[in-house]
Amino acid sequence: MRVSRFTPSPLEGEGWGGGYTKNFRIPRKVLMFAAQLALNALALGAAYALVALGFVLVLNATTAVNFGHGDTVVAGGFLAVALATLVPGDLAVPGLVLLPAILALMALFGALMSWLVYLPIRDRPPVTTFITTIAFGIIIANGVNALFGGAPRSAPSLIGSGGFSAGELFLSRQSIAIIIVSAILIGGLALLLNRTQLGRQLRACAQDPEMAQAIGIHLTRMTVITFALAAALAGAAGLLLANQFFVTPSDGGVLMLKAYIAVTIGGWGSLRGAVAGALLIASFEVAVASQFSQLVAEGLLYVTLFVVLFFRPQGLFGEPLGQRA
Amino acid sequence: MNIRIGAVPLFAIIAVAIAVYAVGFASSYDLRVLTVSGIYVIVVLGYQFIFGYAGALSLAQGAFFGIGAYVTGILGSQFGWQFTATFPLSILVPALLAATIALPVLRLQSHYFALATLALGQGILLIAINWEGVTGGANGLPGVPGIVIFDIAIPRGLALLAFVWGLAAAAAALAWWIMHGLYGLSFTVMRETPLAADALGIDRAALRFVAFVLSAAYGGAAGALFVHTIRVISPEVLGFAIMVTVLTMTVIGGRTQIVGAVIGAILLIHLPEWFRGLEEYYLVAMGVVLLLVILFAPDGAAAYFGRRPTKAEDKSRPDIVPIDLRPGRKAGFEIKGLTKSYGGNRALDGVDLTVAPGEIVGLIGPNGSGKTTLANLLTGLDRPDGGRITLEGEDITGLPAHRIARLGIGRTFQTPQLAPSLSLVDAVAAAHAGNRNSDLTTAREDAFALLAGFDLTARADQLCRSQPHGVKRSVDLAAALARRPSIIVLDEPAAGLTQDEAATLAGVVRTYAANGAAVLVIDHDMTFLLPLAQRLVCLDAGQVIAHGLPDEVVEEAAVIAAYFGAPVISPASAP
Repeated sequence: MRVSRFTPSPLEGEGWGGGYTKNFRIPRKVLMFAAQLALNALALGAAYALVALGFVLVLNATTAVNFGHGDTVVAGGFLAVALATLVPGDLAVPGLVLLPAILALMALFGALMSWLVYLPIRDRPPVTTFITTIAFGIIIANGVNALFGGAPRSAPSLIGSGGFSAGELFLSRQSIAIIIVSAILIGGLALLLNRTQLGRQLRACAQDPEMAQAIGIHLTRMTVITFALAAALAGAAGLLLANQFFVTPSDGGVLMLKAYIAVTIGGWGSLRGAVAGALLIASFEVAVASQFSQLVAEGLLYVTLFVVLFFRPQGLFGEPLGQRA
Repeated sequence: MNIRIGAVPLFAIIAVAIAVYAVGFASSYDLRVLTVSGIYVIVVLGYQFIFGYAGALSLAQGAFFGIGAYVTGILGSQFGWQFTATFPLSILVPALLAATIALPVLRLQSHYFALATLALGQGILLIAINWEGVTGGANGLPGVPGIVIFDIAIPRGLALLAFVWGLAAAAAALAWWIMHGLYGLSFTVMRETPLAADALGIDRAALRFVAFVLSAAYGGAAGALFVHTIRVISPEVLGFAIMVTVLTMTVIGGRTQIVGAVIGAILLIHLPEWFRGLEEYYLVAMGVVLLLVILFAPDGAAAYFGRRPTKAEDKSRPDIVPIDLRPGRKAGFEIKGLTKSYGGNRALDGVDLTVAPGEIVGLIGPNGSGKTTLANLLTGLDRPDGGRITLEGEDITGLPAHRIARLGIGRTFQTPQLAPSLSLVDAVAAAHAGNRNSDLTTAREDAFALLAGFDLTARADQLCRSQPHGVKRSVDLAAALARRPSIIVLDEPAAGLTQDEAATLAGVVRTYAANGAAVLVIDHDMTFLLPLAQRLVCLDAGQVIAHGLPDEVVEEAAVIAAYFGAPVISPASAP
């Protein structure tokens, strides 16, 4: 029998033959690397989920896309930057202290936004809302740019910097805090919408505004509250993102785009879908960026979006909708 | 305030004003600003096709502009190609890109369309920044040559200004030529009442495709002129800021009017100059202006320039007598075993129905029995799950609505579908839009004559949006008849009409059938239907439960049961 010199005989060499079947397992390093990526993706996805939830709340209430939503996140980030100067520097949990203030101020901001960009034009076609929110986004982005300048700024961390090492796994305090804070906010939103009278009224208005009005729900008030909730979530996301990833006035466009894509992938109008879509996007981004670059990740995200829209114009999980906008 | 002025004097005034300002008062910097304004006129004219006429919020116009700029920028600065070669390519490349992505993108609903076009722009910007070997990366490429046409260089300043504005005028003339007739009218119908567009034989997909490709071509041309003016190419030309600027110009100026593009472009490009005192806040001011315009003057500046009715139009309407309406050809239709389900709900369950030329058949049945579903399947607004529909032996099952309409099936709707911003005469004339042999003047004459049949000539120039219900119904029917369909389907035509109105309508339908048309009338109103229909068909729960002469059908027990509930003593419960 002639055996090629390049074919290792089963009998010789312990490296290939024996170990292949006996102790096949994923090397510990790869496992740790994957776990690290998953953790990073979860933290990023949690923050994206807050952005996407605000986006979809307004979407359901107005049947229109809020093009200024990304800029609202930026506004939240810069609000954190501004408020940070008021917090004593030696505080252990600087960001966490700011969170309630940011939620409250951004909710006010959202209410103001609804008065400016939606309530006056609610009877006009949804495209009108697209344009008013674009205009509002321009005002925010350039207002922030004029006040703070165009350079990237960083908001304080939620519970301080640093982290713990568990083997090769690095658990950054900020990542863990982002995941916990987001989970609390998302859970709170779910409780609000599902378990309270206000939440039922909000959902009723989103599902059938005319009927909601007919049974005595104050539609305008619900719209204002929806915008306030959306902006509060966006503001929180701004605070969470602006520490690790910095914030610049021009970030709004890409953030809005990611929320938009998350909602498209998750199913138009679905809150759970928005969270799932956000986590999916973040995992995609973290995984691709770890192998190639942030740039390739972003480019591939758009390509993926086109593929999804080509085969499923109604979104990945969404039911086909009739003419809506 | 409304300035009534003809188009020719208006544009003459604009041209003279620009010329006097440019020659007499402008510094070289002012000239450059004015040149850039002319470039934006072109990109806005392009954007009007897709955003204004087709009504689709494309966010790719800035990308098309940028691609045109990069094609000229790269070929000009790196390879020394001249304007005569690069300019056509700068138009062609974005147009081809638009044509390529049109298939997946244009069928999307408005919010996904906006998203897809936005993502396209972002993707192209990423490529431009990172493909450094070709695009020069974030810094871009210097040394883009000026415009040279067959060895004649066009220097900056007055010459370039005149050249750019000359091209802008040519672009405007082309846009006017494309949109001034019936073709432009069909865009209005598509934008405001998509259902009516389908029923009138207007191919919406084709209109959107043309508008998208044209917008890309115009955007590319403007981008090329832009880099020739500023002489460097950088990723800024792909930035979202340009897209927003173009959108703002179109909204502020006007979405479909040429004068709107001119006003919007001049205003927005000069605004930074006037707001210079605001320094970095001027972009904030721009956002505020955009918001205020949308809130308080949503139709833009051009809405304040009214068109003076020309004398020719007044004279073209002598005392028109109602015309003798005849279908284009005589054809009946046959439906066999038609089924359709929505979710788990069987709307139609094996329906057979035939209507011959010259025959009026009434389709009755309780609410939810499948009457409108049948009309929608017959006219192609929805696709059947099973069964066959034939038109004089030709299988038309599942054809798109506009094809079926062109084959000679017209319809009216339960709620009349009339573009609110059109006059009655134009709403009817638009029905001729799918007909290549017709032009606006003859279409309007015919529409006027059709309206005369309903005694509506006095209102012919009023807008559809301000009409009472009865008038809307009549106009809806007049539009459906304008193409002289062989078959006409009327969905509850008498609902909400006074007796006189219903009688007029019945008269028109009877005459049209007597001239050879096959008519299917869906209605509940027996006092309207019984004298009109020669046969009745009754549907219940998606099945034909009775058919025959009208008097017989209304007497049948099954029909009575369907309308009024089961009889008290049913055979099953009898001892």
